[in-house]
Amino acid sequence: MLDGETVVHENDAAQAIRLRALYQIDEMDLERIRSLGSALDGKIDAAVARFYEWMRPLPEFNEYLSDPAVLERVRRLQVAYWVDFLRGVIDAEFVASRRSLGAIHARIGLPLDTYLGGMNSFLMTFSEVASESDSDSFDTSHVTSLSKVLHLDTAIVIDEYNAITKTIIAEQGDALMEMSTPVTEVWADILMLPIVGVIDSRRSMEIMNTMLSKIAETRAHVAILDISGVAVIDTAVANHLIKVTRATRLMGCECLISGVSPAIAQTMVELGIDVGTVRTTATLQDALGMAFHVTGHTVQREA
Amino acid sequence: MARDEVRIQILVDADVARAIVVARQLSREAGLSTPRSTMIATAVSELARNILKYARRGSVTVRAIDRDGRRRVEILATDRGPGIADIETAMKEHFSSGGTLGLGLSGVERMMDEFDIESAPGEGTRVCAALWL
Repeated sequence: MLDGETVVHENDAAQAIRLRALYQIDEMDLERIRSLGSALDGKIDAAVARFYEWMRPLPEFNEYLSDPAVLERVRRLQVAYWVDFLRGVIDAEFVASRRSLGAIHARIGLPLDTYLGGMNSFLMTFSEVASESDSDSFDTSHVTSLSKVLHLDTAIVIDEYNAITKTIIAEQGDALMEMSTPVTEVWADILMLPIVGVIDSRRSMEIMNTMLSKIAETRAHVAILDISGVAVIDTAVANHLIKVTRATRLMGCECLISGVSPAIAQTMVELGIDVGTVRTTATLQDALGMAFHVTGHTVQREA
Repeated sequence: MARDEVRIQILVDADVARAIVVARQLSREAGLSTPRSTMIATAVSELARNILKYARRGSVTVRAIDRDGRRRVEILATDRGPGIADIETAMKEHFSSGGTLGLGLSGVERMMDEFDIESAPGEGTRVCAALWL
């Protein structure tokens, strides 16, 4: 109901056909919507005004519509929305316009229940107006048709809310990825990478790339991969960790895997994973001690 | 709130991660020890990754259930993918059609108290595995 250009997608026409079948909307339903449209001609402004009476006490009203200029613009778009709805045509353009409507509301963060409440308020108003205007020509079948089309309309909007939520989740995942491979030079010649959470194929590659480029950059001789925060080591993850240690070795850097918990150790044995010559330790402290040894550092407490 | 059953659709990498985390949590809440909860989570990881790799989509269900008067945690992994022509070969250690360690299915069988696999070409695959409490 805010502005936003409508872009018709390739499959919107097919989607319109699919949704019409799903909501069992036939030509009779659309005809009834059109006759409601003519009965409501000139009354849509009043219905929209009633909607704002409903909305005024809600906190969302102040949040989004406190500016009179914005309110007026949104009001006009809303009238246009209902005029379009009451044309009784469900085609690619209809689907596209509902999708962009959903996108706009989802992006500004309007709660879905407020949106649905608003739709409900219109359904009530339209039913009342229709029954007042000419009770002979309107019956329950009109209300049924109206509900079907409103449900279809709302389904598209909710789908778009979902799609945007999924995009946000994926973006959050990407953001976490950015922070998930912090290789640091903990001591001269010694690198450390703590791995936390679940390792998937994308993250495996990230670990390999970050580790190797850091070795090239710092010319470190020992790298410690700490897996104490890793949820599971399955065969794919183990395979990858073994490959990382082989690759670092080729670059002249010994890779130690630290933080092998009792549960992970037992599981790896049961799974039948043979780590071969990879050096593993129970704690990060042990690995660090080993790393000091390899690099020729001695750490002593002051007497 | 403790849940007795969780079903997760496997479509993308992130679903595998979610399945692992949920499986581990459910196993712990059901009363499995930490190593055995890790085994359930690891088996879920193997099976869910197999689904993504070979069938592209499917689902994993993890549940705590009473059977024969005893409680156990079960994993049910199903897909409608290409299926496995020769289960015996697929279950062999170091067999892999995907360039990995080839321990996945046999490893899961070794980790679990119960293991059952049904599959046929074009029919998808159904794996049921369980650990007793």
